[in-house]
Amino acid sequence: MSEQFSRRDFLKLAGLGAATTAILTGCGPASRYVKREPYQEMPEYNSVGQSTYYATTCRECAAGCGLVVRTYQGRALKTEGNANHPLNLGKTCARGQATLHGLYNPDRVREPSNGDWDAAIQVVADALKNNKPDEIAFLMGMTPDHLFDLVTDMADAAGMNAPVRYGALGLFEARATLSKAAETLFGQAGLPFFDVGGAQVVLSFGANFLETWLSPVSYTRGFTGLREAKTKMRGKLIQFEARMSATGGKADEWVPLRPGTEALVALAIGRLAAEIRGGSMPRAFSSVDPLDVAEKSGVKLEALEHIAEMVAHSTGVLAIPGGAALGQSNGQAVAEAVLALNAFADNLGKPGGVYLSALAPNQSDYSRPASAREMQEFVEKMASGAFKVLFVHGVNPVFELPASLGFKEALGNVGQVISFATFPDETAAEADFVFPDHHGLESWGYQRVATGTALPVLSGAQPVVSPYYNTRATADVLIAAAQLAGGKFADALPYKDEVEFLQAKVSTLMNEADGSFSALDAATFMAYFQQHGGWWKNSDARLAPASSILNSNIDATEAEFAGEGDFFLVPFVSPTLAEAGANKPWLQELPDPTTTVMWNTWIEINPETADVLGLHNDDMVKVSSEAGELEAYVYLYPAIRPDTIAIPFGQGHTAYGRYAENRGANPADLFGVHFNEAGDLAFAGMKVKVEKVREAKSGVGLARLESRMGVYGEALGEEH
Amino acid sequence: MIKKLFDWLKQPLGLIAVGIVFLAVFSAAAYGIYLTQQSPEQPVPEFPHQTHVAFGIQCLYCHPGASKGPAAGLPSQSKCWACHNQIQKTVDSTKLAPLKEAVINGEPLEWVPVAIVPDFVQFNHRAHVAAGRNCEECHGDMSQVAIAENPQVMNMGWCLNCHIEAAGDDQEKLIKLSDCGTCHY
Amino acid sequence: MDMKISEIKMSTEEVGKWGMVIDQDLCTGCQACVAACAMENNLSFVGEEDAGYGRSMHWIRIERFWEGEYPEVKMTPNQPMMCQQCGSAPCEPVCPAFATVHSNAESLNLQVYNRCVGTRYCANNCPYQVRSFNWRDYERPEPLPNQLNPDVTVRRRGVMEKCTFCIQRIHKAQDKAKSEGREVMDGEFTTACAQACPASAITFGRTDQPESLVSHLMHQGHGVKHLEDLGTLPNVTYFKGG
Repeated sequence: MSEQFSRRDFLKLAGLGAATTAILTGCGPASRYVKREPYQEMPEYNSVGQSTYYATTCRECAAGCGLVVRTYQGRALKTEGNANHPLNLGKTCARGQATLHGLYNPDRVREPSNGDWDAAIQVVADALKNNKPDEIAFLMGMTPDHLFDLVTDMADAAGMNAPVRYGALGLFEARATLSKAAETLFGQAGLPFFDVGGAQVVLSFGANFLETWLSPVSYTRGFTGLREAKTKMRGKLIQFEARMSATGGKADEWVPLRPGTEALVALAIGRLAAEIRGGSMPRAFSSVDPLDVAEKSGVKLEALEHIAEMVAHSTGVLAIPGGAALGQSNGQAVAEAVLALNAFADNLGKPGGVYLSALAPNQSDYSRPASAREMQEFVEKMASGAFKVLFVHGVNPVFELPASLGFKEALGNVGQVISFATFPDETAAEADFVFPDHHGLESWGYQRVATGTALPVLSGAQPVVSPYYNTRATADVLIAAAQLAGGKFADALPYKDEVEFLQAKVSTLMNEADGSFSALDAATFMAYFQQHGGWWKNSDARLAPASSILNSNIDATEAEFAGEGDFFLVPFVSPTLAEAGANKPWLQELPDPTTTVMWNTWIEINPETADVLGLHNDDMVKVSSEAGELEAYVYLYPAIRPDTIAIPFGQGHTAYGRYAENRGANPADLFGVHFNEAGDLAFAGMKVKVEKVREAKSGVGLARLESRMGVYGEALGEEH
Repeated sequence: MIKKLFDWLKQPLGLIAVGIVFLAVFSAAAYGIYLTQQSPEQPVPEFPHQTHVAFGIQCLYCHPGASKGPAAGLPSQSKCWACHNQIQKTVDSTKLAPLKEAVINGEPLEWVPVAIVPDFVQFNHRAHVAAGRNCEECHGDMSQVAIAENPQVMNMGWCLNCHIEAAGDDQEKLIKLSDCGTCHY
Repeated sequence: MDMKISEIKMSTEEVGKWGMVIDQDLCTGCQACVAACAMENNLSFVGEEDAGYGRSMHWIRIERFWEGEYPEVKMTPNQPMMCQQCGSAPCEPVCPAFATVHSNAESLNLQVYNRCVGTRYCANNCPYQVRSFNWRDYERPEPLPNQLNPDVTVRRRGVMEKCTFCIQRIHKAQDKAKSEGREVMDGEFTTACAQACPASAITFGRTDQPESLVSHLMHQGHGVKHLEDLGTLPNVTYFKGG
């Protein structure tokens, strides 16, 4: 026994000895556990122990804000806005801050799916060479512009299909409708620029310009200008929408109109204001009956008159048509009616009014991302087998396009799908090959600033850190493949690499007058371009055209709604996640500005309606439309019409990394295929059914920040 | 079972066994601590600080960050090689072979830092150099050692003693130098 | 340095050094400050389950409350809430480990992580509920740690943490100014939240220097300090606006 005992216990005691050593050594120098790698060769502009800052361009959305990234010993630590960049003047949004969680995301695509870049380039070269040019298609995201230009050059020279660009934000912003309306109004396509900062009264018809709309950082600065009473009176914001958005939450007056009546309400306000002001009634407003509008829209006539009073008597009235208002069957009419209000306020091309955004320095015509109808045509071509090879870069159409368009199914009829995805998204999962591009912070490039500043800006991007994984710039892959393929492809891209291509493109600006800097030779110009984070002209280049819209008829009817059900559906883009933020853990943990929900999808229902339906917070409900259905938790939202429900877009991924996968639901699954006149999807023109699936259980439900402080602030014991 | 065990331990043989076990644990622990206090193995074995100092090379030549910011830094290997490349003896030396290989192969050398403070201490070399402290006051006389050694335990008492001494009668300086938030955040 | 109990006193009046002015009329609730703070200060993300328990590690949060009922419902002005860096902080006297101490040099409330033993007394005594506790060692899978700011300690399980007014930036600016033989200039640096804020709703600076921007704003008259009647002497001023 003693022998048995001593052996076993000796082992135990030896273990104790080891533990003691471990504990005691924990108090000794920690040097055993740390290793340090100095630079092999330190860049000249680095200094030991000092941070190095690089200017580049944010790629989290297409706005093109300038960033300055703090790096330390080859690692990117923090993004800040570039203070000299005309678009964002040193500011960033939450997504710009969290872009580092994309760069260092644990679920990036780490290497080409066939393991070897030489083989990958051969695959791309074969795809180019062995197919007829019109059997090759490129589907690209709204960023980056330099790659779009490169592919366009190649497509033009080789007779390929022109690259198609798409992004879910473009869909929710209804960019095609905006551009079409600008054409009607000003006789020229483009993105209207709304000078919120200079205005005195802003009427926003569902424009979520403080969230994700067009250029949120710039518009938020505009909002500050509106509110600050430095040189003028504090300006007012009036928001017309069925569901209070984060932007609506900031409004001085929130007008919950019935979805689909935006155009009528805009015209009625115009008519009432014209009556107050006297003189002849503009033709645009003449056919509308305010009393009828009040009844249809659910907005009291007194409320309309009160707003009309403001419009008639104030200077600096500005009306903005937003995405959800345009994404309906009558979207075109909404845009025209709202822009007519601006014409009535006589603010076209004036401070505090509407302009046409300046074109970027190396841009001759306005180009916009594809509308949903154009995407439908694209998908039909895919399904018919017209494309033998499809290249996808910078967009995740399987997630970002409504499922009812059938993109995923149509992929099966494309001979070869090659994805350049940085993250393992849904589209990459369906692709035959994934040849990962660098993350935006590891990339060269430029982005044209489409709107948000008075100056024409070409925003420059450069790598702030060297690539973390075995990824390769798609531009480099295409250049190498084009040279391998030879012929017209090689002629189109006679460059050594991406940087040479960029220099060729950017140095055309060298001799332009009135620039933010100039240089005598291309290399110096390029160096300045990287250092400053872009090149811009120094003077206002917004267009200020006249318009005759007041004298034209606007055919304003109510929008039509597809599907059967008791509820209008208001899908909105999650202000914190937007279309591609779900894989960044800190974006997931940011509370939604209005509901404070984190990490999930919720369905907003008016508490009164919920009472009638017997629904409570955190009940699971099923929402079904004519096109599909989804399940999510109920959130009793006090600021939504009782006949409306709202669902945020951004979650519901089936791939895209551990933080995004199998989390929440995607409202795009509910969208049917209906377009407005401009070809944008009538995503806000759906009626849906709501059914309870199961009761809330304790411990299961939405994670909300407000549970920490109480919905009405009761936990803080404050006088709210 | 337990009772039997204690009975057995109480008899002389048991007491001796307890003693042996105690000694074994103690010496294992002592050896463990001893190990932690030894100069660690560095990628260039027996890196001779004293030779470098003897040639009159200033500390700041290789660790220039000390006068500029928080970290003193390690020289890049291209900096090492810039000198050693010109000395035939060191080019051929087997002791320097790791450096030569690293430079040729473009691979990093992994040094093991000796003077190190825990993560919750925010140390700034620049402030100390600017206050007139010499490197050897904390790091010891490098002309006497090969691989750097730590001449003292770098704990908070040691830091604070010096801080209080440096403040002298200057009350404002004392507040600043004894403030928790000066080093911990 | 031993500290005798008799030496600890609750100050009743203190001139702050660093302060903040927040214009709630401008704040859009966009969460840029929250994200900027997380990136600058190495905040852990806790995941959905812990976040649901109210264990998220936000050092700054944006509060919004509802007023009234549909259709006369209103969202109160967004209220960014972070440590108010009280001149007489309720969290300080209750800490048995002296981990929650007042910085006399910078007039801030410090949280000394290496002293903290995790009693959570301070969080329970904080009327603003701005302290967060590390209930676990939250996972930060490789290569996410590459992004960590080396100027800020990475906290572990069992430690309390809260907004520091970006004290690392204060020290950096002071160090830079000192090396150039000058004083820190107003606006030379700012906190991560104020730097990111697209609406410029947050202003940070020296409240003890009358010519600084933050002092000008503070003395405009319509500012409010939260729960001032508790005698906490907070250093953050709010403009309710509207």
